[in-house]
Amino acid sequence: MAGSIPILKIGPTLLATIQIDLHDTVVDAFQNDVLLEIEKSGSSGLIIDISALESVDSYVARMLANTAKMAKLMGTETIIVGMQPAVAATLVRMGYFMSGIRTALSLQEGLELQAERRKTLDSE
Amino acid sequence: MVESNAEVWEIRIDKEADIIAIRQLIRELTRQFKFDQFASAAMTTAASELSRNVWVHAKSGVARIGVLRGGNRIGLELALVDHGPGIANLERALAGGYSTANSLGLGLSGTKRLVDEFDIDTEPGRGTTIVIRKWKKEF
Amino acid sequence: MELGSQPDYMKILKLDEDEVKRRLAFFELTDEDFRRLTELKSFADRCTQDITEGLYELIMAYPESRAFFPDQATLARVKRLQNAYFLHLFSGTYDLNYVRERLRVGAAHERIGMPPKLYLGAYRRYLALIHERLLDHFKGNDAEASTALATIRKIIFFDMALAFDTYIAAYLETMTRHQAAIRELSTPVIKVYDRVLLLPIVGTVDTQRANQIMETVLVQVVEQQAKVIIIDIAGVPVVDTKVADHILQTTAAVQLLGARTVLTGISASVARTVIQLGVELTRVDTRAKLSEGIEVALSIVGKKIASKKPKKESEDEE
Repeated sequence: MAGSIPILKIGPTLLATIQIDLHDTVVDAFQNDVLLEIEKSGSSGLIIDISALESVDSYVARMLANTAKMAKLMGTETIIVGMQPAVAATLVRMGYFMSGIRTALSLQEGLELQAERRKTLDSE
Repeated sequence: MVESNAEVWEIRIDKEADIIAIRQLIRELTRQFKFDQFASAAMTTAASELSRNVWVHAKSGVARIGVLRGGNRIGLELALVDHGPGIANLERALAGGYSTANSLGLGLSGTKRLVDEFDIDTEPGRGTTIVIRKWKKEF
Repeated sequence: MELGSQPDYMKILKLDEDEVKRRLAFFELTDEDFRRLTELKSFADRCTQDITEGLYELIMAYPESRAFFPDQATLARVKRLQNAYFLHLFSGTYDLNYVRERLRVGAAHERIGMPPKLYLGAYRRYLALIHERLLDHFKGNDAEASTALATIRKIIFFDMALAFDTYIAAYLETMTRHQAAIRELSTPVIKVYDRVLLLPIVGTVDTQRANQIMETVLVQVVEQQAKVIIIDIAGVPVVDTKVADHILQTTAAVQLLGARTVLTGISASVARTVIQLGVELTRVDTRAKLSEGIEVALSIVGKKIASKKPKKESEDEE
C-alpha cells in the first residue's frame, strides 16, 4: 500500500522525502511503508528529508519522533535532514527540542553519518 | 492599491483536512503580505496547533481569519471558536516553561510564544474561543 | 511619471479609496464644498498669478527659504508649478489621482530638503493672500467671502496633511533602511574556516536582539552548511538568566538543525553567575577564550592547528 511519501533505497539507507502537508491517513501509510521497507530491505539507516517543510507543528514533530522510535525497534537509525531555519526557531520557541532525534544539515551529511555509524558497528 | 473587501475568511472545522486548509490559508496570507520566514512559520504553526486542538478536543468549531490594518502596519488575526469541553485549569495550561510538551497537553504556552497577541476565553462546559494576532515587522 | 527610485508614497501611506473618503469626511469636505470650489474656478484663473507672486515675495525675502531657489530659471519653473497647483485646488474632483498629485508635490519639497516650518509658513501666507483676493472678488459681501474661504481652507488643510505624510513617509523609509543596516552590522556571522562560523556578540542583548541573533545564526548555519558555530560573548556586558536563556535557545535551535555550538568568551564572573543562577549549559562546548573555542571548532571538523616545521639552516642562507 503505497502512500504519498516516496521512499527510496540508497545503498543500506532508506530516504523518505516529505513534501506535503501531513495528516492521519498519510502518516499511518508512511509509517507502515517505512517499516515494511526496513523489513524487506534490511536497511540499517533511515533518512527523512524535511527540507520542503516550511513549518512543523507538534503533530509533525511527534510523528517524526515516533517514526524514529519505530525504526529503532527494528534496529534502524533515523536521521532528520534539511530542517529549515524557521522550523528550528519555531520548534525551540514552542519548547520542542526533539531531543533523542539525530539531525543533519543535508542528505549528504546524513549519509556520511550513517556510513560512519555502520563502520563503528562493524568494528565492534 | 485598492484591496478587495474580502479580507475575512471563515473555515469550519469538523474534519482533519480543515486543519490543513486553515494552515495553507495562513501560509498563503503571510506570503502575500511578505512576512519574513520566521514570522510566517510561527503564525502557520500556531494556526495549525490551535486548529488541531479544536478538532481533537471539541470535534467541531470554526476558524475566522482576518487581515489587520493598524496605521502603518499589517497583521493577521485568527480566531478559533468551539463549543467543546472548555479548559478546566487555564492557569496551568498557559504556564509551563521550556520542558518538552506533554503529548496530551494543549501546547498553549508554546503557541503563545509564537504570536504577538493571544487572547483566550474558556469555560468548562461552554467551550473555548482563542484569538491570536501576528504583526508584520516594519523595521 | 517619476523616474528612478521614487518611493511609492501611495503604498507606504496605505492611501486607498477608503482612506481618501475617510480623510475627506474628517476635513468636512462635502459635495457643497466641491460645488463651491468648481464655481470659484474663474476666480482662481484670474488670481493665480498674483497669489503666486505674493507667496514668492515672502519666500525670497528670507535667506533660509530663498536658498531653495538659486536662479531665475528655477524660480520661473516653480512659479509655473505653483500656478498649476493653485488651479488644481478648484478642479472639482478629489480622488486618488488628486491625492497622488498632491503627494508628488509634497515629495518634491521633501526631496529638496525644505523644512516643515517653511512649508507651513508658506501655506499660511497663501491662505492670507487668497483671503485678500476673495474679499476683493465678493466686493462687500463678507459672508460669501467667508464661506468661500472656509471651503478653500478645508481643501488646503487636506493638502497640507498629505504634504506632512510625505515627510513622515520619507523619514520612515530612511529609518527602515538604517534599521536594516544596523541589524546586519550587529550580527556579523563570519566564516573562519570551511563549515566553521564565528559570531562575536558585542553590546547588550535584549529580547528583540536575541531573537534577531537566533534567526541570523540559523539562516547562516543552513546557508553555509556549517558544522559548528562559535558564539563569543566576551563583548556582552551583562549576562543574566535572561541573556543566558536566549543564548541557550539559540544553541538548542542550532542543535536541532544538526550543527554544534561552541560558546566562548565566558569570563570568571559570567561563569559564577550562570552556575549560581542554576542555568544549564552542559550540552554546549564552552571555553573562556575565543582562541580555545576556535581549536575546539576546528577539531569538530577534523582539523587542528599545528606548528610549522622549523626551517633547515641551509634555507636561511638564501
